[in-house]
Amino acid sequence: MDTESSSSAGRRRRRRGLVPYWLLGPGLIWLTIFFVIPMYFMARLALNSGTLETGFQFSWEFSNFSDAISRYDTQFVRSLIYASAATAIALLIAYPLAYAIAFRAGRWKNVLLFAVVAPFFTTYLIRTIGWTTILSDDSVVVDVLQTVGILDQGGRLLATPTAVIAGITYNFLPFMVLPIYASLERIDTRLIEAAKDLYSNARQAFFKVTLPLSAPGVVAGTLLTFIPAAGDYINAIFLGSSNQSMVGNAIQSLYLNLRDYPTAAALSFIMMVAILALVILYIRFAGSEALMGEEGEAK
Amino acid sequence: MIKDKGMSGDARILIAIFAIFAALGLAACGGDGISGGSEDVEVGVAEAEGEASGELSVSNWPFYIDRKSVPEFEEETGLKVNYTEDVNDNSEFFGKLQPLLADGESGGRDIMVVTDWMAKKMYDLGYLQDFDQEAVEFAFSNLREGVASPAFDPERDYSLPWQSGLTGLVVNSAEAPDVESINDLFDPQYKGKVEMLTEMRDTVPLVMKADGIDPVDATKEDWLAAIEKIRAAAESGQIRKFTGNNYTNDLANGDAVAVIGWSGDAVQLQADDPSIEFRMPSEGCILWSDNMVIPVGAPNPTAAYEFMNYVYVPENQAQITAYNSYVQPVDGVQEIFEKEDPALAESELVFPSDEYTANCSTQPEPPGDAEDVAEVEQAFQSVITG
Repeated sequence: MDTESSSSAGRRRRRRGLVPYWLLGPGLIWLTIFFVIPMYFMARLALNSGTLETGFQFSWEFSNFSDAISRYDTQFVRSLIYASAATAIALLIAYPLAYAIAFRAGRWKNVLLFAVVAPFFTTYLIRTIGWTTILSDDSVVVDVLQTVGILDQGGRLLATPTAVIAGITYNFLPFMVLPIYASLERIDTRLIEAAKDLYSNARQAFFKVTLPLSAPGVVAGTLLTFIPAAGDYINAIFLGSSNQSMVGNAIQSLYLNLRDYPTAAALSFIMMVAILALVILYIRFAGSEALMGEEGEAK
Repeated sequence: MIKDKGMSGDARILIAIFAIFAALGLAACGGDGISGGSEDVEVGVAEAEGEASGELSVSNWPFYIDRKSVPEFEEETGLKVNYTEDVNDNSEFFGKLQPLLADGESGGRDIMVVTDWMAKKMYDLGYLQDFDQEAVEFAFSNLREGVASPAFDPERDYSLPWQSGLTGLVVNSAEAPDVESINDLFDPQYKGKVEMLTEMRDTVPLVMKADGIDPVDATKEDWLAAIEKIRAAAESGQIRKFTGNNYTNDLANGDAVAVIGWSGDAVQLQADDPSIEFRMPSEGCILWSDNMVIPVGAPNPTAAYEFMNYVYVPENQAQITAYNSYVQPVDGVQEIFEKEDPALAESELVFPSDEYTANCSTQPEPPGDAEDVAEVEQAFQSVITG
């Protein structure tokens, strides 16, 4: 081995070593432009002081953060509660639905999948406003619920937490159904047959085989639902009242009505960190294998 | 040397990319200004130049113009009009536009329609241009005397009324027959069926009036006390919601039976449901005007003046008024209605008499300096966001 060939081999190795980073490049650039830079400006804005009329100055104004959380703690906690409730309900609806589509729908599979996605062809806003008519005080829905005694006489659905949580659940349901469906679809049915051959009953086969194998879908679905739900403000505007307003409404009011950009940025930041922390805890608890599926486990 | 070269390729490009972003970041920092204009701002005149041509963009409130007026204007002038109904709340509209206006841009808008106090606020911040008086001479020659010199712009240097109106009670008379005063909105028998406006300068002064306070010389404490009264009613569920124009839906489908609302909306709703009507609160109403203004950076002021003159032709104005039923600002319109639609000509909501509005107050501004106003606004917003 002469020196020249060893040095060229070394270079080749080095080049090969850098290939993954090159492949990461587009993603990194994307993240930098659309995440890191906006984050930087938001963080900077959150530390400004002043008003619109006098101009904002950067002044390490950390009190914006404590101010934001002390003024909007109710909305903050409410957002997390509503989002958790909506996620839980969506999971209860979505899992059986996805299961039925994946294993029982036969040739109707595509039609049913289309039906899940179809509402998305109408904009989010119009669908939500549509519910205000369906659930209005004089509507059939409210009448029926009053007659069967679920609602008090004179009770209502709109401008209650129920309506807001139901609206969020409805609007984000497809985000729960599709990932769960995708992971159920991928399950090798021979594994379930094998479980039955080994004397599992249907229930045991489901809990020992199907459910664990679909965990990645469940984890992905809950994240895709919870994260946008916590920041939602449309449902609270149209289906709720001032007593149901969420953190998104507070940020909107701070930004558009009070033009208090620093506090709005601080509140957004706090919300983001809180959600990030919850997500990290959740993934730790659920295990990253669950999120990545078999590939994750293989490593 | 070789080592140096070895590092080159990839690492150097990474460094270059990093440098580009760093430079971008620095450049952006330099312009780090979502800054307002506190210093006295030079206000320019939006000069008219020759014949109007090209495109015109108008931002207005919903339900403010009939379907025919804009196409007819386009046909008569050959201008292309982008008419957008994107104003639903003064503060919110300002909030969306402020970053543009601060950079001297209007987002392509040539005319915006905003309420008196917002017009003044924008003008004081240097976001509006003075009119080229010669170019709007025609419109001013038809301007009704009653709205010719408001306190906020006595010479009408930068604002021309679109429509005026009354803020008072809009009531479903079948469901809430005995609502006569704003105080009746706090009556527990209407719990959850009452709504108020997100427009603070309408809602809060009405509540003060109902408690016997004249909004014109109300103190900051009076404003805050009224806001606390509203807060208690919102938290108890007495007030169902705070809305902009969309209270009309809630009245129409029965979710609300008595609201604080605007006179023209009431007339429009009545056309579909005769039991909905405007009621002058026993303690009086709030009077306001929405005004056409020309923002800084308006691309086509010449076309803007053309439009202003057009809507100030009595026949054209009559067509708009017949649709929106607000208080119109043009001389000679009442005479047209006397011939064509006598009922409308006698309507106190479209042509209010002095006796009808005797107890009404011009929409007031909270007293004190910018900080005091901000304190009141913050208190009111905290009610709306719970």
